[in-house]
Amino acid sequence: MSEYLLEMTGICKSFAGVHALDHVNFAVRPGSVICLAGENGCGKSTLVKIISGVYTKDEGEVTFEGHKIDKITPAEATKLGIQVIYQDLSIFPNLTVMENLAINSEITAGQKVVNRKRWEKTAREALSKIGYDIDLYAKMGDLSVADKQLVAICRALLFNAKLIIMDEPTTALTKKEVDALFKTVRQLKEKNIAIMFISHKTEEIFEISDDVCIMRNGKNVYAGKTADLTREDFTYHMTGRKLTNDKFVPKNVSKEPVLEVKDLSLKGAYENVSFELRKGEILGITGLLGSGRTELALSLFGLMKPKSGEIRLNGKSATISSPMEAQRLKIGYVPEDRLTEGLCLRQPIADNITLSSLKRLSGKFGILNHKDIYKDAQIWVDKFSIATDDPHKYASTLSGGNQQKIVLSKWLSNDLDVLILNGPTVGVDVGAKQDIHQLVHELANDGLAVIIISDDLSEVVQNCNRVIVMKDGHISGEIGSDDITEDNILEIIR
Amino acid sequence: MNKSMLKRMTHRTEFWIFIVLIIMCLLIQAISGGQLFEPTTVVTILRSMIVDGMFAMVCLVIMVSGGFDLSFPAIAALAYSLSTTICLNNGWCETNPIPGFILAVIIGAVLGMLNGWIIAYFKLNTMIVTLGTQTFFLGISMGLLQLKEITSTLPKSFKALGTSYLFEVYNSRGLRSTMSSLFILFVILVIITSFVLNKTMFGRALYAIGGNEVSAERAGYNVRRTKFILYTVAGAVSGFIGMIRVCLASQSIPKALVGKEMNIIPAVILGGASIFGGEGSVFGTVCAISIITVVSNSMLLIGIDTYWQDLFNGAVILVGITVSALQAMRRKG
Repeated sequence: MSEYLLEMTGICKSFAGVHALDHVNFAVRPGSVICLAGENGCGKSTLVKIISGVYTKDEGEVTFEGHKIDKITPAEATKLGIQVIYQDLSIFPNLTVMENLAINSEITAGQKVVNRKRWEKTAREALSKIGYDIDLYAKMGDLSVADKQLVAICRALLFNAKLIIMDEPTTALTKKEVDALFKTVRQLKEKNIAIMFISHKTEEIFEISDDVCIMRNGKNVYAGKTADLTREDFTYHMTGRKLTNDKFVPKNVSKEPVLEVKDLSLKGAYENVSFELRKGEILGITGLLGSGRTELALSLFGLMKPKSGEIRLNGKSATISSPMEAQRLKIGYVPEDRLTEGLCLRQPIADNITLSSLKRLSGKFGILNHKDIYKDAQIWVDKFSIATDDPHKYASTLSGGNQQKIVLSKWLSNDLDVLILNGPTVGVDVGAKQDIHQLVHELANDGLAVIIISDDLSEVVQNCNRVIVMKDGHISGEIGSDDITEDNILEIIR
Repeated sequence: MNKSMLKRMTHRTEFWIFIVLIIMCLLIQAISGGQLFEPTTVVTILRSMIVDGMFAMVCLVIMVSGGFDLSFPAIAALAYSLSTTICLNNGWCETNPIPGFILAVIIGAVLGMLNGWIIAYFKLNTMIVTLGTQTFFLGISMGLLQLKEITSTLPKSFKALGTSYLFEVYNSRGLRSTMSSLFILFVILVIITSFVLNKTMFGRALYAIGGNEVSAERAGYNVRRTKFILYTVAGAVSGFIGMIRVCLASQSIPKALVGKEMNIIPAVILGGASIFGGEGSVFGTVCAISIITVVSNSMLLIGIDTYWQDLFNGAVILVGITVSALQAMRRKG
């Protein structure tokens, strides 16, 4: 028997003539954690779907526990001991924990009638696998994301899983919950269960994985021990280019501040916040969740009304009572949750880009010309190299990074003085992250004043020439240019 | 454990609906000077619950699966009008009503199958599909087949079944009221629905699909087939209920059930079913249908104009849907 639990060699799969997977090799050792990494659209999910039997391969060989397997169906994959925990966890929020745990095995066993006692026994057995304790009669929808995930893991273990595939499991988790999850993962490892971890978060990959397989454009470009890899190599393999971590150096800072905030207060959110922002600067605002950073941003965009204090724009006192008013005052805001707040996913890309510049694009009597919209949108598609062949396509067809580019171009297509970016690269992969950062640097040097709100310290360090640290609604420190390091920021946060 | 079970119970819509039902009854009993709990009133109310209660079961099962069916009264109407017309023309069912019922069930199943086919295989919004089929079915009955009202010529066995009774009661003034034997069928349907929803994998599949269709598919349920069967059975049962209505009313009127869904759906929502699917119980639905029947039957009793019933029904829709939406919002966090 080979040393591998699962071994795949020369796997090919194409969709309508496009190679999604091009001779991919992939192997998992029993009882190890392997990370499958790569940017969006690199073929990660196609590979997973071949393993789980959702897709059939065109070419290549799959060996599981030393046996050659020709064709896998989802049911067979389960029988072999392969379990996939999807990003949405595939749970039923309206059913109880017990039902969620037992339902899959009941269906697999071909049961027709419900036997509560058997369900409960199955559920308890599932929980005992990782020694997890939870009220079996609680409604699934009432649990936290972390608890839901543990239930999903327990459910997978019922099938005597030998390989558990987790699709971006940490996306919706807090740092603490990620730690708890990793503890469980290590626990599973001890039971000789192999874990395949799909992620693009560099830090997590280095923390948890033994092996790593990196894919790019349907090919695997690296496979081996994680320990043999530096972070720079990793990024290089992911993106296929040497990323230059250029620190932002302001070149074009105006004398007069464009935005002045004086003693701004909103009870329960932030208090006595004062700062200035000049054109050409990138100001970072960081702090823990609940430090008031998001509320402050919302106030600057007219979405939350401050109780007292003053906001001055270009030297003139201004009341920003609504997003409309903020836009008139040339302030733009890119929200944290771009999917629900910043994009209409089921709308064409072009319409999304031009959404906030319709006034400029409309002719006499406010009538819009379809052609102008697409002409305007094309400019931004080209400028940001948004990966689409046709701006008529829905925004939902793009990856996270490209979606973020749309949100940015939506604002930039209007003439702005101040642009507020809240968590600009959350959920965006390394390459697109780099693109977005580069772009923001250029914008600042072209004379835009930028505020980046982020808890990603490396992002703040790399992109800001000044950083304000917030804590419990107060500004607890401000750091300038050369002093901006992660350690210095952490010092103030603590 | 006991305490948490009590807590869980009070969190359920069904519990509160039950409380509301009891309070409502006591209130009406007091206002009407004790008329509500007179045996004749009780029997009359139970009798008028038969058809609506059975329709509510059909509607509930579909809502649990995440569907929203507007066409079940139209299916029932076309099934019974066609069935009674065929029976009349062939001289069937003068002594035995069963062929008429079988015919209606078959017609209902075929119509339901059409719903099921469109919904399961084209994955369309159920409300839009059934809005279309509802009108389509009415069109078949009125335009294509030109089905007529059948009143005095109705096959005798239907009339006989409709007037048969389990027992009779008298009130203090000597008025007589009979308990229709068809009430048994309502009770049986309630028991079957409850069993299917709670004790069969098919029923749990409906909850699972209503909760998260993609997950249900991944868990190994055949979602398409389940939906197809669901709408076919719902059509068959609707046809059956239609025949019961014909018997009870002693007449077959093709347009009699137009708009009926607008009385049933709010009741089912009031009973705890979610418009987003995955929630709802037989107990809650029976309580809710009881509330609506009691109220509409008591309006005369306590001297309120029956036009107020629309106001009441409208309010029920709004309250039910708001509660349902609030629950969904809480679930999403």
